[in-house]
Amino acid sequence: MTQAALQLESVSSGYKASIVVRDLSMKILPGEAVALLGKNGMGKTTLLKTIMGYLPKKAGSVHVRGKDITKLAPHRVAAMGISYAAQEQALFTELSIRDNLRLGLETDALFGERFAAIEPVFPVFKDRLKQYAGTLSGGEQKMLLVARALMMRPSLVLLDEITEGLQPSVIDRIGVALLRERELNCTTMLIIEQNVPFALKVADRYVVLKQGEIVDEGSAKSAGATSAIFDHLRV
Amino acid sequence: MTLGLLGVALIIIGPWIFDSYVLNILIKAFFFSVTAVTVDVLWGYTGYLTFGQSAFFGIGAYAAGLVFTHNGFSPGTVALALALAVAASVAVAALVGWLSFYRGASPFFATVISLVLPIVMTQLLLSGGEWTGSSSGLTGYDTFDFSLSTWYWIAGAALIAVGLFAWTVVRSDAGRVLASIRDNESRCSYLGINVPMVKILLLAATAAIAGLAGFGYGSFSGVVAPELSGFVLGTELIIWVALGGRGTLWGPLIGSILINVATAYLSSRMPFAWQLILGITFVLVIVVLPRGLVPLLLKPFGLDAQRDDIPTLVERPAAAATATTGTPALVMNGVTKSYGSFKVLQNIVLQADAGELVGLIGPNGAGKTTLMRCMSDGADRSAGSVLLCGHDIGRLPAEACVRFGLGRKFQNANIFESLTVAECLRMASTMLERPSLLRRARTLALPPYALDVLRATQLDGKLGSVALDLSHGEQQALELAMVLALEPRIVLLDEPTAGLTKTERTQIGQVLSSLAHRYKLCCLLVEHDLDFVEDIATRIVVLHQGTIVMQGTFQEVVHSDLVKTIYAGSAHAAREVA
Repeated sequence: MTQAALQLESVSSGYKASIVVRDLSMKILPGEAVALLGKNGMGKTTLLKTIMGYLPKKAGSVHVRGKDITKLAPHRVAAMGISYAAQEQALFTELSIRDNLRLGLETDALFGERFAAIEPVFPVFKDRLKQYAGTLSGGEQKMLLVARALMMRPSLVLLDEITEGLQPSVIDRIGVALLRERELNCTTMLIIEQNVPFALKVADRYVVLKQGEIVDEGSAKSAGATSAIFDHLRV
Repeated sequence: MTLGLLGVALIIIGPWIFDSYVLNILIKAFFFSVTAVTVDVLWGYTGYLTFGQSAFFGIGAYAAGLVFTHNGFSPGTVALALALAVAASVAVAALVGWLSFYRGASPFFATVISLVLPIVMTQLLLSGGEWTGSSSGLTGYDTFDFSLSTWYWIAGAALIAVGLFAWTVVRSDAGRVLASIRDNESRCSYLGINVPMVKILLLAATAAIAGLAGFGYGSFSGVVAPELSGFVLGTELIIWVALGGRGTLWGPLIGSILINVATAYLSSRMPFAWQLILGITFVLVIVVLPRGLVPLLLKPFGLDAQRDDIPTLVERPAAAATATTGTPALVMNGVTKSYGSFKVLQNIVLQADAGELVGLIGPNGAGKTTLMRCMSDGADRSAGSVLLCGHDIGRLPAEACVRFGLGRKFQNANIFESLTVAECLRMASTMLERPSLLRRARTLALPPYALDVLRATQLDGKLGSVALDLSHGEQQALELAMVLALEPRIVLLDEPTAGLTKTERTQIGQVLSSLAHRYKLCCLLVEHDLDFVEDIATRIVVLHQGTIVMQGTFQEVVHSDLVKTIYAGSAHAAREVA
C-alpha cells in the first residue's frame, strides 16, 4: 500500500466552542489532486487552516507521508514541503514582488530558474519585480500568492479559492500551469473552489463538504460530477 | 447586578465601617476611578490608546486650586472654578482631538500626541511661578467645609453616576458606533459616519468628566500638585484599566479602586517592591489575561455572560425613486490618477443614469478598483471632476460622498469583525436613523433589497453571529447588505459575488437587477464572471491600462476581438460552443 501524501483521521476543529469540521477522515495519494467543494460556511477553509496548524485540532490526527503533523506549528508544517495559498491576501505589502516570491525559497540562487518556470503563466510580473506588492491590484495580488505557492515546488499544495477575482484568461493559464505542475513534479493538491468547472478540470477527485462532514465524493472526470455537485451546492 | 448593588451598599454604609484613613484613600480612589472609566471608554471601546486623560484631571484640580487660592472661596468662585474646570478641559480636548484625528492621521500619531499633552501641561504648571506654586503646587486654600462622610458620599455618588451613564451609553446603539470605529474606520466613513467628529466629541465629553473628577479631587484634598496632570498618572490610568480589564467598564472601575487602596497600604511598607509587583503584574496580565483580572474574578458568578438579544428584522419601505430630473446619477469628466509619473487612470469620461447597471470589465490591474475609489473619495483623483447625483464631490471625504447617495462594496469584505451581523447592519443604518445614546432598539429595519440579500445567503438566520466567525462568502454578502442598508442612489460593487456558490450568485444577481430595474438605482459592477454580467448588465464598459477602450452591449463588447485578446481567454469561447 502506498503511503498517503495527506491522511486525515477523525479530525474535528473549529473556533472557540463551535465545531466547524466534524470527525473528518480523508486520504490523498501522492500526485493526486482533490477538489474540496461546498457552500459557504461549511468548513472548507477551516479544514485547510487546521491542516496547516493555524487552528488546533480538537480531535483526530493528520499525517503527511507517514509523519504525524497533528501538533506541529505552521512554520514546521510548511518546512515539510507543504504550501498554502490562503484566501485572505497573505502578502508582504511593503516588500517588492521579487522579495515576496523569494521568501518562499530556500536560497536566492533558485530564484532565476523557478521564476522562469512560472513567468509564462503570470507575464504581468516580468518587468515589475521591483514594485511593492501593496501597489498591485486585488487580482494581481491573488496571482502573486499563487505564483509564490508554485515557486516553492511543494510536494503538497493547499489552494483556497485562487481564481476569485481573476480575469478569465488568467484562470485558464493557472489551470494549465497546475496540470503541468502535477505532471512534471507529481505535486499533490487540495483545492477549494467555487469555480466548479476549473476545479474539476485540475482535479482527479472531488469531495463535497456540508456542515463540516463529507457528504459526497467521486471522480472529477465522471459524467455526472458537475450536476451532482450543483445539486449539493443548491440546498 | 447584585455586585452593583453591593457596591452601592458599600458606598452608602462606608462611613460606618471604614476608619478615616481608609475613607480618605477611598475618596481619592473614587475620583481616580471616574477618570479610569473615561480611559476605558476611549481605549477599551473606541480603540484610542491615550495617556492624556491625566491632563484633564489636572486641569480640573488646578481650576479649583487656582481659583480658591487667588479669588477666595465663595459660591461665586465655586461656580467660576467649576465652569473653568469643564470649559478648559473641553477646549483643550477639542484642540487635541482636532490635531490627533484629522483625516488620514494614524492611531500611533494620536497616541503620541496624548503622551505629549500631559508633559506640556506639567511644564506649564512648573513654570507658572508663584501663581501655580511651581513644583510644590498649591496648598492651604479654603474649600468646601464638608465632613469626611459627606465627601465619601459625594465621590461615591459621582462614581456611580458616571459608571452607570458610561455603562448605558456603551451598551446602547450609539455605543456600538464606538466599537465599529475601533474595528474599521474606513468602513465607518463609507457608511457616512464622520469618524474624526465622533472622536473629537467623545474626547471632549470624557475630558469634561475627567475635569470634573479633578475638580472634586482638588476641592477635597486641599492640595494640588503638578503630578496630578503628569504622564505618570496618565500611564497609571492605562495600567489600572488594563489590569481591571479593558473594554469592560466594571474592571477598570473596581480595579483602580483596589489598586489605589493597595498602593496606599503597601507602598509605604515596601516602597520599591510594590512598584515592581505592579509592573510585573501588568506585563503578566497583558500576556496571559488580555481581558484583565476583574472579569476573571467575576466569571464564577456568571457575570461574564455575553449579551445575546437578537433584534427582529422588519422591512423599511425604500425611499421612492426620485423622479429623474434629467441629472445623471454619475458623471466623471477627465478623471486622471497618477502615482508619480505612472498614470493608473487617464482622462476617464463616464456617465451613468439611474436604473442602469453598468458592468465594468477589464484585465487585472487595469484600474477598475482605482476608478471606484476616485468616485467615492474626493481626495483620491489627481485631476478631473466627479458629480454624484448632481453634487460635485470636490475634495470631500468619503463620508460626504456617501451622503450624496453613494454606497461602496469593497473587493475584500470590509465589515466590523467584532460586531454581530445584526449590529453591523444597524451601523449601516446610522446615517438614516440616528442611534439612541441610551437604548438598544428591539427591531432592525432594512430596505427590502437588503433583506433579499440576507435571505438569499441565509444570513437572516445568523443575526447573532459575530462577523469574524462568518465564512469568507458570508462576510461578502454581509457587506453587500450593509451597503444596501444605506439606501444609496449609486452603488459601486467590486466583485460582490466573489466566494459565493453559483446558486447564491444567481440569487444575488436577481437582487442586483431589481436594484436597477425596480428601484431605479444606478449600479456599477466589477465582475469577472462574464455569465453573471451578461444576465444583468445593461451596458458594458471595458477598462484597459487606465483608459476606457470600449463601451456597448454585452454582445458587442464580449465578442469583439479586443476583449477576446486582452481578457476573456478560452472560458467564454467554450461557452459559446456549448
